[in-house]
Amino acid sequence: MQETTPQFAIRVHDLVVGFGRHVVIDHLSLDVRKGEILGLVGASGGGKSVLMRTIIGLIPRQGGEIEVMGAAIGDTHDRNTQSAAGRWGILFQQGALFSSLTVRQNIQFPLRENLVLSDALMDEIATAKLEMVGLMPEDGDKFPSELSGGMTKRVALARALALDPAIVFLDEPTSGLDPIAAGEFDALIKTLQKTLGLTVFMVTHDLASLNTVCDRVAALADGKIVAIGPMRELLQSEHAWVRAYFHGKRSLMLQPKAS
Amino acid sequence: MSRRATSAGHRTEVVGVADNYAGLIEEVRQVNRHNPAPAPALNPFVARVNDIGRSAVGATEDLAVFLQMLGSLFMAIFGVLRRPRSLRLTSLVYQLYRVGWQAIPIVVLITFLIGAIIAQQGIFHFRKFGADSYVVDMVGILVLRELGVLIVAIMVAGRSGSAYTAELGSMKMREEIDALSTMGLDPVEVLILPRVIALVCALPILSFIGSMAALYGGCLVAWFYGGMGPAIFIARLHDAVSVTRFEVGIIKAPFMALVIGIVACSEGLRVKGSAESLGKQTTTSVVKSIFLVIVLDGLFAVFFASIGM
Repeated sequence: MQETTPQFAIRVHDLVVGFGRHVVIDHLSLDVRKGEILGLVGASGGGKSVLMRTIIGLIPRQGGEIEVMGAAIGDTHDRNTQSAAGRWGILFQQGALFSSLTVRQNIQFPLRENLVLSDALMDEIATAKLEMVGLMPEDGDKFPSELSGGMTKRVALARALALDPAIVFLDEPTSGLDPIAAGEFDALIKTLQKTLGLTVFMVTHDLASLNTVCDRVAALADGKIVAIGPMRELLQSEHAWVRAYFHGKRSLMLQPKAS
Repeated sequence: MSRRATSAGHRTEVVGVADNYAGLIEEVRQVNRHNPAPAPALNPFVARVNDIGRSAVGATEDLAVFLQMLGSLFMAIFGVLRRPRSLRLTSLVYQLYRVGWQAIPIVVLITFLIGAIIAQQGIFHFRKFGADSYVVDMVGILVLRELGVLIVAIMVAGRSGSAYTAELGSMKMREEIDALSTMGLDPVEVLILPRVIALVCALPILSFIGSMAALYGGCLVAWFYGGMGPAIFIARLHDAVSVTRFEVGIIKAPFMALVIGIVACSEGLRVKGSAESLGKQTTTSVVKSIFLVIVLDGLFAVFFASIGM
């Protein structure tokens, strides 16, 4: 598979997604550069998760093209998509850990399925990933039902990182975390992006994490990307919805001190 | 109250409200202004026709889902045949243990009781016209040909089918199945194939064990209640029952297992986000698989009759 668009990790062109007559994503185009953290914001129920799930092939699209690392994405049964799956890691909103496996087995699962490794090596990798996301190696023997919300997200991130993917998709990684844990999570994502050169596609409502970690922010409204750019530019955007989003009562902390 | 007065043409004013309640009164005044437009009442006849149409569409949908699952199962089987290493052996063995080994006690108990009851009823009624020795024929044929496999299949549908639906449904709810597919794995191959294969292997074995237990129950009743010794019972059984009878019963088992497995798994995958839908699909799964098992049994009866077995 040749890399046709080396500077872009994800290219979405003219995408249409809908359920029945209800169109959720309406001729949307979006490019994500390699090595950047892109935050996606949008109204609740406005199609952010739908966009992400379409990119990873879970929701069939009605039109348009999606490329991830230069390879076109079809639905989940497509061979191309399956080979692309080795190059992305996904953190679902609820974690989506396999409840019948322990934390360690969860992290090893993608390794076991895609590679042939000795058990000792896999244990070592799992422990390394656990420590990377700030968990103790002892947590590896717990079951997902024994974990707190924050730990579940950390384990899910560890699993998403298990194959050292080039792209990580995060669906509301900080929702339901207290500000300290959310801050740690943000710092973790930033560190990983710096050290591993990850591309991060993050769906979030957390203004603080948008402000601190995201290189660029894309705003999704009415099924389209209405604004995209660094946080500073978005704050100056004239689009009504974007203004309402970033200039509401809850976003006062984002305003530059001078104004 | 004030709204009703206003609509009746009076002017209202709320007086004497403490400051801290004024906000609440104002908030209440703001809400609930618009009643949702009532749904247009349908002509009852049209509504009925509408319902029938909807359930017909639902039934074809069910059939489509069933066939789709059957198709993807076969695809998965071919995939596994090409790459035998990709079969989930651990999962298969575990499922076999669960639906096979752990089901034995309850299956034995129930079929034992059924056999005993048939024998008791048979002796009680046949005795009136002195035909009580034919009880053995009745128990033998009924158990080996029809009841053994049918009762075991119904119990397995209730016990293991519902478990499958609930498991897959909760996995679906927690996005585990989505996580699997985004890792480039086929949920049918990883989750469903081992479960269905386990069921297809376990049900014939369980029906065999169940039939034996039922015959044992019948034999005991014949001995203590009917006064017919085990030796006579076995000798009569030997005359009355041919191997074909037994074959007819046991041949049906894998097909019934396939139906139960497919229904249970596809209902599990149809679970939507809520816990209520999980419960609903589990119920649907059990009802539907028991219904289909009985229909299948009827079809087999017609089939075997026409080929003279």
